[in-house]
Amino acid sequence: MRRSIVLHILLAITALHVSAQTPEESYRHAGELYSASDFSGAAAIYRRIYDEGYRSEDLLYNAGNAFFKSGDIASAIIFYERARLISPADEDINYNLQVARSRVTDKFETLPELFFVRWFDFFSLLASTNTWAVLSLALFIVSLLFVLIFLTRSASGGRLLSFWLALSSLILSLIMLSLAVRNNSLVSHNRKAVVTCSIVTGKSAPGDGGNELFVIHAGTTVTVEEELGAFTEVRLPDGNKGWVKEECIEKI
Amino acid sequence: MKSFLMILVSLLAPLTVAAQEVTVDVNAPQSAVAGERFRIIYTVNSTDGRFQPPAFDPSFSVSGPQTSSSRNIQWINGEMTSVETTTLVYYVVAPTPGRYTIPPAQYAARKATVSSAPVEIEITDAGTVPSASDNRGGQPPENGSEVSMRLILNTREVYVGQPITATLKLYTRINLSGLNDLKYPDFKGFLREDIDTPPLRNLEAEVIDGVQHGTGVLQRFLLYPQIAGELRIDPIEITAMVQQRASGGDPFFNDPFFDNFFSSVTNVPRSVVTPPATIRVKSLPSPQPADFQGAVGAFEITSDLSKTEIAVNDALTYSVTLKGKGNLNLAGAPVINFPQGIEKYDPKVTVRSSGTAAGSKVFEYLLIPRNTGTFDLPPVSYTVFDPELDKYVTLRTPGYTVKVTGEGDAADETVTPAFIPGEDVKYLGQDIRFIRSGDTVLKSVPGSLVDRSYYWLWYAMAVLLAGAVLLFRREQIRRNADITALRNRRAARNARKRLAKAETLLKGSKPELVYAELSTALWNYLGDKLAIPRADMTREKCYAGLRAKNAGEDIITELDSILSASEYSRYSPASQGDSPAELHRRTAALIGKLDSMLD
Repeated sequence: MRRSIVLHILLAITALHVSAQTPEESYRHAGELYSASDFSGAAAIYRRIYDEGYRSEDLLYNAGNAFFKSGDIASAIIFYERARLISPADEDINYNLQVARSRVTDKFETLPELFFVRWFDFFSLLASTNTWAVLSLALFIVSLLFVLIFLTRSASGGRLLSFWLALSSLILSLIMLSLAVRNNSLVSHNRKAVVTCSIVTGKSAPGDGGNELFVIHAGTTVTVEEELGAFTEVRLPDGNKGWVKEECIEKI
Repeated sequence: MKSFLMILVSLLAPLTVAAQEVTVDVNAPQSAVAGERFRIIYTVNSTDGRFQPPAFDPSFSVSGPQTSSSRNIQWINGEMTSVETTTLVYYVVAPTPGRYTIPPAQYAARKATVSSAPVEIEITDAGTVPSASDNRGGQPPENGSEVSMRLILNTREVYVGQPITATLKLYTRINLSGLNDLKYPDFKGFLREDIDTPPLRNLEAEVIDGVQHGTGVLQRFLLYPQIAGELRIDPIEITAMVQQRASGGDPFFNDPFFDNFFSSVTNVPRSVVTPPATIRVKSLPSPQPADFQGAVGAFEITSDLSKTEIAVNDALTYSVTLKGKGNLNLAGAPVINFPQGIEKYDPKVTVRSSGTAAGSKVFEYLLIPRNTGTFDLPPVSYTVFDPELDKYVTLRTPGYTVKVTGEGDAADETVTPAFIPGEDVKYLGQDIRFIRSGDTVLKSVPGSLVDRSYYWLWYAMAVLLAGAVLLFRREQIRRNADITALRNRRAARNARKRLAKAETLLKGSKPELVYAELSTALWNYLGDKLAIPRADMTREKCYAGLRAKNAGEDIITELDSILSASEYSRYSPASQGDSPAELHRRTAALIGKLDSMLD
């Protein structure tokens, strides 16, 4: 009894100590745990740093690795996907994501997205949402300046040049704005989710009443269509739709 | 006399012969279970000698002998045969398993001393002593039943895979003439393995609760539970042929051990079943270690390698021996990661069991090195579950180093092509890449600007600001345009005022002021008409402005000459030139021309 009290106090102290760490220290500590093969311990720390709102490509990548090694393939895929949203071209992330996906039970024949959608998404992820947004606003203001010049200058060569400059910077600004919106929808409002329960039944209606339509397993990536209470309508990679429990999926 | 002697000899002859052929027969079981009582019976065909019992192993507890002598004299066809028999029965309990030799017993007859043959007995281990479990079980099993059968289990609580020794034993109080149709249930959840049991020939006497029973072991076997839970063993059934005497019995002959030859009997089949038994099978503790292959019991492991130096492509035997007591038959092969470059074949598995759950199992791997070099055969770790210790025990063998030399067979060389394109890289497995070491820059992610309304307000503000600037500029331009028009409209009037003033000055005393007035009138007129700010006025600008308005060269020449003349006369009044009146006339004419042209 006394021993257990001492143990509790010790645990509480260590917990306090851990929480007093800066996220960078926690991150380093998790890396040490990973090297010492305590994968689930490392994964828990990485997830806590993530839940505290800190982001970095390395953090998400390492979290994915820790979850993978501790056997939680679904969480590993979630974190690899998140890491890919920060760094879409990183070779390690893409490789590990591919390895993790190969361990998923459900195999779907998925059509690749249209190439220009893929390129556009890829391009939009090259900078953060806010970078695109600020660039777009700056270019818009520049384009307005050129418009002013165009409208106030007397007819001469400078007028024509300012017209073209205004037009091109306006187009560029609009492109960047659309990239910002796309990036935002990918990073902050992603509708993709990963199944975290080991087995989930998709039903034809939210609630316990509907007919059972399909069974999917942990790690399968689905698209969230609609949310209603504790149920979410998801679309499978092959296009089928069904309602699953909300607690069984985690959004990217 | 001679014939009398002959008769006497012939009469004595059989007796003499009988006396000469003294033999000692020994009847002992070939094997017995440790702790269980068995009989050793010595039969001597003589009665008047002295029996010297054998020197039993000191660990044996021997009771007896039960001695009985008999003399049987038969007269057949006038010939007398006399058979004398001494039977000595020893009851022996051997406590420890092993192989024992019972040395010869000696019998000192009148003429010679004879010895019995030595007997070898295998004492096997049956776990707990069955007689102890008999007592625990409470005998007799069914009061009042004359024939019963019991399944004696050495334990009723085991782990999955831990063998149970079961003994099927028959108890009877009456005579049986035979047993048949031993029917086993399907032992659901168990794997049954029979132990060699000598066929039941004689029943042994056993007094249970004051009643003498004849008992005998029908069959012994091992049960390996396969699943956890409360497992029920269904009754085992046998048909016993019960002898029923037709005539009422003499109490002396009412004895189950000896057939009563003198009463007429009928055989009645009677079905005998064992009571059902329940065994609690515990599942093995979780998690199971990775190298646990299902072996439950007390084992030890050894390994052996046939050679440590070998030519390439020669065979090598690597054997791992698992020895001990437990479910040997179910123990899987150890997982050995042989180095690449050594070809491995599936192991040959040999089980040597000594009749019970104890024994050894040998896994023999045939290895053929295909490359030269030094290879390390890794140590083998094999985890077994020890039910005695209630935990997993990891057994280890040492690793070996094999040196592979030579260049392979000549035959191989001829087969290999002249060019070797190199071996493809072998991918042994797939794993994720390692984590990023080192520090990272952790940033608290701000919300997206796109999601904020103030971001979009910036666009609106920029547009509004630009609109405001544009309006302001437009207004300014418009106002400037108004000033120019006013100046334009007032230019001729101002010029006429200046000319009128110059005319009055002409009549005055200071004609040089006329020149100043005239040039001012001209400059102002041109500045207003051509919308040139006063400060910027130069002759060249005026001329350029006039030329832009398509003024003739003569007008410009006239203007230039008037301007030059008025300035010249202003600063040197005494000079020759046009008179002020003349200049006034020319200026008025020029302004009139310009006015009609510029309007």
